[in-house]
Amino acid sequence: MRSIFRFSMLVFGLLAMAGLLAPTGALGVKEVKIGVIYPLTGGAAAAGRELRAGVELATKIANGVMADLPMTMAQNSGIKNLGGAKIKLIFKDHEGNPTLGADLAKKLILDDKVDGILGCYFSSVTKTVSAVCEQYNVPMINASSTSPALTKRGLKWFWRTTPHDKWFTKDLFELLKGLTEGKVQGVKAVPKKEIKNLASACEKTEWGSHVSGLIKEFAKEYGFKLRKSFLYAAKSADLSSEVRSLKASRADVMLFASYTSDAILMVKTLKAQKAHPKVIWGQDAGFEKPEFRSTLGDSISGILTRTVFLPKVVEIKKLAGQVNALYKKKTGNDLGGASARAFTGLQTWVAVLEKAGSTKPADIQAAANAIYIPGKELVVPWKGIKFSTSGDELGQNILGSGLIGQYQKGKDGKISLEIVYPFDVSSADMIFPFAGF
Amino acid sequence: MDILVGSLFAGLLIGMVLALVALGLTIIFGVMDIVNFAHGEFLMIGMYTGLLTAQGLGIDPLLTLPVAAIVGFLLGIICYFGFIKFLLRGPMVAQLLGTFGLMLFLRNLALLIFGSEDRALHHGLLVGKSFDLGMGVIVSATKLACATLSVVAFVAVWLLINRTKIGKALTATALNAQGARYMGIPTEKMNALAWGIGGGSVTIAGALIVNFWSVNPFIGLLFTMIAFAIVALGGFGSVPGAFFAGLVVGMITEIPGFWDFFTYTFGADWMVDIPMTSFKYMWVYVAFFVIMVTRPRGLFGWKQ
Repeated sequence: MRSIFRFSMLVFGLLAMAGLLAPTGALGVKEVKIGVIYPLTGGAAAAGRELRAGVELATKIANGVMADLPMTMAQNSGIKNLGGAKIKLIFKDHEGNPTLGADLAKKLILDDKVDGILGCYFSSVTKTVSAVCEQYNVPMINASSTSPALTKRGLKWFWRTTPHDKWFTKDLFELLKGLTEGKVQGVKAVPKKEIKNLASACEKTEWGSHVSGLIKEFAKEYGFKLRKSFLYAAKSADLSSEVRSLKASRADVMLFASYTSDAILMVKTLKAQKAHPKVIWGQDAGFEKPEFRSTLGDSISGILTRTVFLPKVVEIKKLAGQVNALYKKKTGNDLGGASARAFTGLQTWVAVLEKAGSTKPADIQAAANAIYIPGKELVVPWKGIKFSTSGDELGQNILGSGLIGQYQKGKDGKISLEIVYPFDVSSADMIFPFAGF
Repeated sequence: MDILVGSLFAGLLIGMVLALVALGLTIIFGVMDIVNFAHGEFLMIGMYTGLLTAQGLGIDPLLTLPVAAIVGFLLGIICYFGFIKFLLRGPMVAQLLGTFGLMLFLRNLALLIFGSEDRALHHGLLVGKSFDLGMGVIVSATKLACATLSVVAFVAVWLLINRTKIGKALTATALNAQGARYMGIPTEKMNALAWGIGGGSVTIAGALIVNFWSVNPFIGLLFTMIAFAIVALGGFGSVPGAFFAGLVVGMITEIPGFWDFFTYTFGADWMVDIPMTSFKYMWVYVAFFVIMVTRPRGLFGWKQ
């Protein structure tokens, strides 16, 4: 018995040494397990598919070698500093349910023994999942939840790469202000009284209700009048009384924070009710999904959405173009805000693991707090990724930024998003006022 | 002013649609004294039937109504002979829990088959169309069609119950099942017929509603609750009561619209900040509660 024990110890020792001596060799390969929690079914299933495809593509690039992509993770097979360990994704479906999300996180941590977590898109779910991660000291990176409150809780195991709604909402008001000052490409200065009246309708979970609050806050700050503001259930099957209420407010500018099926329903109902505001703006999410475009067709021409990624970015950034080509090959769609950010989230995970050189939570924590990824390595048009480690926003990426796009019909007759804000990177003249449905 | 007229119209139309949803529930209750918790699930099945038939066969959703009616009628009869018949022997609580179980069963079956995603019709003769009645009042074509059909269905059911022999037999069964049996009325068949008509009318409503409302396996509960409120308001078992109460409930769901009218007419800023739209269904249950407390048999109810 003892000799067997000794023999196996010897074999283990040799194997371990082989691993140390040949860090990229096949013998040293192990896995790093990342639990990925997304809404894969339910109203946001379309978004879930995009998120999943983004993460899978990034994993494929990280686990293989694509020398022509100018990003660190494409140069090595697996995590170099972990002996070429491959990333293994374990997907879970939270169905938009915060309680389920928390249960899944526990399951991933206790049963699957994941090294870290990525997710969860819905701010409400991210909130509960990050609380579980904090409890078990498991690092979590969030790439696409934009409720400002998430990074205001002083969590030590939570990092967020995406900019949040406060920045995005401010962008919108900067755009409106720009309209009155004649700064918008292709639009003469608009008298403020023509766009002074606002109305907002936001879905009523964590994310939407925060956006609604931010709109109120900024409307006051920028001197606009909010004539109507309400929350609705994203699962509503009918929004006609909501739309009548918006119309009744005689608002010049209508603002929305909606997930996919409700965004489509909202615009369909606006169209059926012949609503005619001068500006329609959506806070990303549903307003940017491929389904939004494919279901509603030409009628969305002129609608604005804030976003973090537009196909036009591809023309500005070579790397984005390359990744977009890979993504299109995989899914048939262009990268969107959800997929590009999910991609970036996994990329950040790889960079953090690379820097940590270990899967010990404490090492990952230290690495995440010290990480810096330059903007040129990212598909999203940010200055880079660097997390805040002090102040009231712990773990928030401080180098992100947003875009506002407008659906426009191109010469080829196809609807695509053109950049209208920031003004210095506009890709087309803005359509103003909204021409009606 | 357009806000007020618009809300009135919208309330009336949706009220007629909701009345159609409640019709089946009131028939089943009227005849058998059994409260069908799975009513909303029947509606959900009607919605899926309409949606899938239209998409599968590539026909206009309006043409799927007969299919939905047959599916609903058969479903009602199958449910009766396969399940409800046995429940009737048990106490009231067993009947309640039984239909509650049926609700859970149908819902989860739908979840298994269709998945939890919202599905909606995007194409169709009337889908997304609307009329401008002037004064800024816009009426959706699907809702108008739905409301019209609802009236037709009500008249048909009313005629069936009040002008035909079968109707008399149904009423007799409803009033006194034992007596009716002694008179030679096949009460068993009458019960099954009530379930068939109830199921058929609600699946028709579903196939109509799917023209403007998206469907998922959980949609039933909202309608069950509203249908209960309507039936309680109109009086359990009363067909005209269900219609009238449907209109009332339709108007109640439009309270936010009336609120907007007063807000902007009087320019009352404090009213703007009250999110009435978020509470539109709350008032339905408030009305339900008030009726339950003050007049338990409802406005037109004849059953004690």
